[in-house]
Amino acid sequence: MGNLRRLVLDVLKPAEPTIVQLVQALADLEGVDGVNISIYEIDRLVENAKITLEGNHLNYEKVARIIEEYGGAIHSIDEVAAGKVLIEDVDTPQD
Amino acid sequence: MDEPSGLLGRLSQHFHTLREYSRIAGVAEIARRYMAMNAFDGVLTMIGVLMGNYVAGVRSASVVIHTGMATSIAMGVSGLWGAYLTEAAERKRELAELERASLTDLGQTRIGRASRVAVIIVALVDGLAPFVAALIVLLPLFAAGLFGNILVSYVLALVLALVGLFGLEAFLGHISGRSLVGYGLRTLVAGIVSIALSFLLGTE
Repeated sequence: MGNLRRLVLDVLKPAEPTIVQLVQALADLEGVDGVNISIYEIDRLVENAKITLEGNHLNYEKVARIIEEYGGAIHSIDEVAAGKVLIEDVDTPQD
Repeated sequence: MDEPSGLLGRLSQHFHTLREYSRIAGVAEIARRYMAMNAFDGVLTMIGVLMGNYVAGVRSASVVIHTGMATSIAMGVSGLWGAYLTEAAERKRELAELERASLTDLGQTRIGRASRVAVIIVALVDGLAPFVAALIVLLPLFAAGLFGNILVSYVLALVLALVGLFGLEAFLGHISGRSLVGYGLRTLVAGIVSIALSFLLGTE
């Protein structure tokens, strides 16, 4: 099975625990080289986060488990990349 | 993340988890509030017990200790039960509200666990604070044999109560970043008023 290199997730999570704790917990996972979490919408109790993970062997199940453990719900998987090299989304004339 | 090895490592891991839960559930603030409020209750109730015994002419240390201990236990149990029930209900409501907002069952997440741990910590603080504060005030009565005269124990216990009240408010003053002495004096007055009013009971 091809190794998962990039995951971009749309997550709804409670304000507490903060994204500082979540990002560190995700970064501690095996196979993860780096994580970025950015908040694009804040509600009174919850916030919407875009979580981007890159690594050499990302384990989606483990990533999802950590996010759920911190109270988050994955709404969608917005981008994935796998294989020997990281391929970026390519602009086509239709775009 | 490496798994900690050995007893010390596991203890440190538990402590770390507990601190994290405490931060998620905002335990420190409410525990501090309960501690100050109930220790204050404990000390003032014990002033009442001491003055009641003194005014009623009780001159046996053992009687004062027994009534004092029974009162401390009742206050401890009342604090423990009361805080457990109210805090559990409050936390459940908060979690349910968060679950509605996030459309997720949070019971098995660290938010749910933090909420359950918070209930236990707060209940323990609420029960132990008045119990321990009352026991400290009673200490001179336990040592009544050493002083010879029980009146010395009464006076020492009341002085200890007043010092405790002062210390408690100084602690609150420290938290609020205000003057320690100014804060301390306010509760000292409460103690003195309580002693004076109880004293009037005896002068018919």
